[in-house]
Amino acid sequence: MIILLLLPAIVLIILIFCVPLIRYLWLSLHASSVVTGLEALPNYGANWFRLINDDRFWQDALQTSRFATLSVSLEIVLAFAIALLLDQRFRARGSIRVISLLPWALPTTVMALGWRWIFNSPYGPIDQLLILFNSNIESSNFLSNPDIAWITTVVADVWKTTPFVALILLAGLQTIPNDLYEAFRLEGGTKRQAIFRITIPLLKPYFLISIIFRLAQAFGVFDLIQVMTGGGPAGSTESLAMYAYINAMRFLDFGYSSTIMIASFILLVAAGTISFLLINFFRKVIY
Amino acid sequence: MTELNRRNTTILLLILWSITPLIWQLYTSFCSPEALISPFENIAKRWTLDNYRQVFQADPPFWRYLVNSSLVGIYTTFITLLISIPAAYSLVKLPRRIANVSKLVLTSVALFPYVLLFLALLEFARSLNLGNNLLALSIPYSGLSLPLAILLISSAIKDLPADLEEAAKIDGLNLWQRFRWILVPLIAPACASTAIIVFLFSWNEYPIALTWISKDELLTLPVAIARLAGSSVYSVPYGAYAAATVIGSIPLIIIMIIFQKQIVSGLTQGAVKG
Repeated sequence: MIILLLLPAIVLIILIFCVPLIRYLWLSLHASSVVTGLEALPNYGANWFRLINDDRFWQDALQTSRFATLSVSLEIVLAFAIALLLDQRFRARGSIRVISLLPWALPTTVMALGWRWIFNSPYGPIDQLLILFNSNIESSNFLSNPDIAWITTVVADVWKTTPFVALILLAGLQTIPNDLYEAFRLEGGTKRQAIFRITIPLLKPYFLISIIFRLAQAFGVFDLIQVMTGGGPAGSTESLAMYAYINAMRFLDFGYSSTIMIASFILLVAAGTISFLLINFFRKVIY
Repeated sequence: MTELNRRNTTILLLILWSITPLIWQLYTSFCSPEALISPFENIAKRWTLDNYRQVFQADPPFWRYLVNSSLVGIYTTFITLLISIPAAYSLVKLPRRIANVSKLVLTSVALFPYVLLFLALLEFARSLNLGNNLLALSIPYSGLSLPLAILLISSAIKDLPADLEEAAKIDGLNLWQRFRWILVPLIAPACASTAIIVFLFSWNEYPIALTWISKDELLTLPVAIARLAGSSVYSVPYGAYAAATVIGSIPLIIIMIIFQKQIVSGLTQGAVKG
């Protein structure tokens, strides 16, 4: 009887999460594109051979990992600082929390458009300020320089998701009893030492959950890049999710698109495992 | 004293970092095209409402997208709560080992980057003819929101005293009555936080809406905004874009201000217990 109440949820979750993955696995072993008249014909792993030799896929995998690593590390450090700040008592703390959460609540596409304007050259505010202070600079070309464009997407991503991570870490901070700090102070420890000896070790599960969650989300980055740079310049900011999207919707090659998605998923799990092991390793070295 | 000053400075920096991009959009939305090109020079005609006029006179008018997004948000929130409250209840009543395993599964599913699902979901939409239908769009949204919703609500149910339900059972209330009169009123705060987080998710969702909806008058706000961005890469009318982003942000800023407590408690509960 009780299990009946769970049934609709189980059905919907299987339908939305599991069926697609099985479908992708099946499609990745078939040719299904305009060429085959959108019919799925078995092609005996040809999609996977193509993937291994596809420079664009590996370039996007590298770009996605680079983007995810840099933005998640920046977010964790910044969010920790913000959480420490918001954990203190001061006037108008509630309103400051709301203000700092605003970037997270707004639709990604809306603010991606905003950031595109901010980094616009030569009319965006950053460019204009640069020109104002140093008239030698013609234009910074943030969004049209392949070496810099991806950094601008990291800035926008950090701006948008740091508040969320800060909130999770703040929740963790509030579970640490004050007596611990008090005892540490009586033993003669300084405030800075308390952060490294008490706060960070006790916050570990919260760091871990934020890192895993953010890593997974950053790995699937799509809206932000699509609107800010469209994957350009010269494909330098294209993410794996975008490449899969382009293959499905523009080239109408569903078999290959599915292969990319399965491969991205495998890479994500691998990246997650590696970062988990690294965190554990560093923890053992430090403590 | 210096420490206090340092803290105030950091708070100020935090506020500036959070809202400067928003303020800049607001400023841009009132600028005339000439003012946009040379922000630091003296121009006769600097301020204008033309950008807003342009956005509202577009076809379909911009408020249409706000209505569409709100509708999808309301449908999604309703369906999600309807399914997740009973599911959360039964999760609490299940034997501990099964419950723990299901929680682990739910957590890992909640972490999944759902963007990767868009193609298979699009195939659903095509084969069942669900495209261009806002109610149908809320089905995948509900499915995506379910894991988090069930985790949040079940942790609220777990916190209730166990005797309460026993007492109601002895008084002869059946399952439905216990739900209606005991359980739901007591977990209302958790349901409210969950509802708002689900609403925000569906309001902001992009890849699925992008592939399921193709009719102009049914687009949701994020897709409409992205379409503006893609319409032309060169000579982009940024004033009008800025006006559109401002209009698109206002409802969310209002929601944030009204429901700040629920949002914060919902997110932190999710982190502590999930």
